Amino acid sequence: MSDMIELEEPTAAGHRMRDEIRQISDKVRRRRQLRSTVMTTMCAIALSITAVPLFLLLYQLFNRGLPVVLHTGFYTQLPQTPNLITPNATGGISNAIIGTLVLSLYASILAIPIGVLVGIYLAESDSRLAASLRVISQTMAGAPSILMGLFAFSFIIRDLHIGFSALAGSFALAVLMLPVIIISSEIAVRGVPNTLREAGLALGAKPHKVSMKIVLPAALTGIVTGIILAISRAIGETAPVLLVIGGGYINSWKPLDPVAAMPLSIYENAKSEWPSLRTEVWGIALVLVVFVFVLSLSARMWASRKQQAR
Amino acid sequence: MSLVIPPPPDFTTHEEEAAEFNSAASSRTWYHYVLIAAALLFAAVSVGFVGTIVWNSAPEWAHHTGTLLGGNGWQSPSGPFGGLAMIVGTLETSVIALVIAVVIGLGTSISIVFLIPRRFRTVVATFVELLAAVPSVVYGLWGFLVLAPWMLKTVIPWLNSWPFAKELFGNVGQEDGQSLLLASVVLAVMILPTFVAISREVISVVPNDLIEASLSLGATRWQVIREVVLPTAKIGLFGATFLALARATGETVAVALVAGGVANVQFHLLYPGTSIAAWIATEFGEAQGNEVAALMALGVLLMLVNFGLSLISRWLVSRQRKVLAVV
Repeated sequence: MSDMIELEEPTAAGHRMRDEIRQISDKVRRRRQLRSTVMTTMCAIALSITAVPLFLLLYQLFNRGLPVVLHTGFYTQLPQTPNLITPNATGGISNAIIGTLVLSLYASILAIPIGVLVGIYLAESDSRLAASLRVISQTMAGAPSILMGLFAFSFIIRDLHIGFSALAGSFALAVLMLPVIIISSEIAVRGVPNTLREAGLALGAKPHKVSMKIVLPAALTGIVTGIILAISRAIGETAPVLLVIGGGYINSWKPLDPVAAMPLSIYENAKSEWPSLRTEVWGIALVLVVFVFVLSLSARMWASRKQQAR
Repeated sequence: MSLVIPPPPDFTTHEEEAAEFNSAASSRTWYHYVLIAAALLFAAVSVGFVGTIVWNSAPEWAHHTGTLLGGNGWQSPSGPFGGLAMIVGTLETSVIALVIAVVIGLGTSISIVFLIPRRFRTVVATFVELLAAVPSVVYGLWGFLVLAPWMLKTVIPWLNSWPFAKELFGNVGQEDGQSLLLASVVLAVMILPTFVAISREVISVVPNDLIEASLSLGATRWQVIREVVLPTAKIGLFGATFLALARATGETVAVALVAGGVANVQFHLLYPGTSIAAWIATEFGEAQGNEVAALMALGVLLMLVNFGLSLISRWLVSRQRKVLAVV
């Protein structure tokens, strides 16, 4: 009995103790809250530090590039070398635009069929060859692009004696695109539900028919997305084409001619002594970035539209 | 009355069945052969890729391995071709860039996933991925025409006003502002979107159950991030780090534009230097004979470093998948 009375009416010492405990826990809680606020604020600061240079980059790109790209001659004329009498004569970049299109066209012709086929093979086979090709394609996908240039130089120019040409450049870009296409095609084909395949086989379709008429159409979205992303990566690459395309000053669609390319023109004009070329270079960069953005945004929209349809 | 047994709809003899089976099998092999041929072609391309570069660098490895790995200075027409300056320059620029990018990028991905309002998240994520797609030559151009003059006019005089500036940064007087430090900064800006794109994804797949459980136990927002999210995502974040490092070491034109292109072992960060990839790009045009082999040998070094980093990051990411599967 006496014990219970003591519990109902705590002593003054008990009150003090309770208050102390409250104070300490308040302190701990406040410290934890403060710590949380400080650290999340630092994360927010990190976000703004990331944003500042990237926004600056885009702002300066548009600010300095727009005046250049608004002239139609910029797209239709050949480049000119400024001289002392006409220091502002820079001409246009028609050769670089055509060169970039030609390079990506031939590179796509080389890389897409093989890439998609290898992707299908990797998705439908469990052989040891498939396992090792999977590792190889993932490793190649991250390989420095300058190595593709070295490869194209030693194989196409040195061993096959073809010379500095669009073909050598597109070979380098094709080697760059291949692993990207392979990886995305494999993922896309793997994503096709097995019930579709089995339904086709159960209806008596032959395996290659199932693959061509059922699996490929179903996987097409993913494959096309991967191809567009691969092209958008290849378009912006400077290092592989720097070593092998030869930098032609004419408009040419022929695979064996030396060609120019937009990234290469950026690299070379930036280093030029002429202020007019250094101004023009922002225009080339803007056109290139718009190319790349349009490609990757269309890949993204294409992918999300098909996902909604499903 | 009497039960009529219908005849079997389609009667095939044993031989016919076998023939049909065989034709199916043969068409399967036909299709299969095409696939295998493509696979073998890709295998040949990748073997050729490694093989030709190694083969073409062989003469230089055979005679001058020591110079390539430890020699300083690059005497252009005839050699010796020392690779130490490029190796050191690659290490310096990519490690500094990585430290900047990982510290800032981790904070950025955490804020994208946990701090900014939900409806902006997709927009910001798309924006980051678009920036990751910007060609590296554009980053190089920006560093070369915007950052370098700014460094020269503002940053370097400010750094020089520090005490012990000379001991820390060397005697700074570069004409055009190109330096190893500038290369590191441009690399950091360039790999930030890549790192953020991957680490944001790794962080955002941490199961919500874990986060909610920890919140319900009274953890603050930071405690949830620090004690639950980051440990769960740890391995994937390491993978993202290695991928970013691989991209930084392999970057060519951006570094070629802003590093200054001087083949000399340099520890003062405000002096010009170069990296392996940038040196290959700038020297290859005029190279002949042995110099081509020496540049190819630098390419082999780059390949070894890059493939090593890729394999490590691939292994880490696959381990992360297993961790998440267990959770």
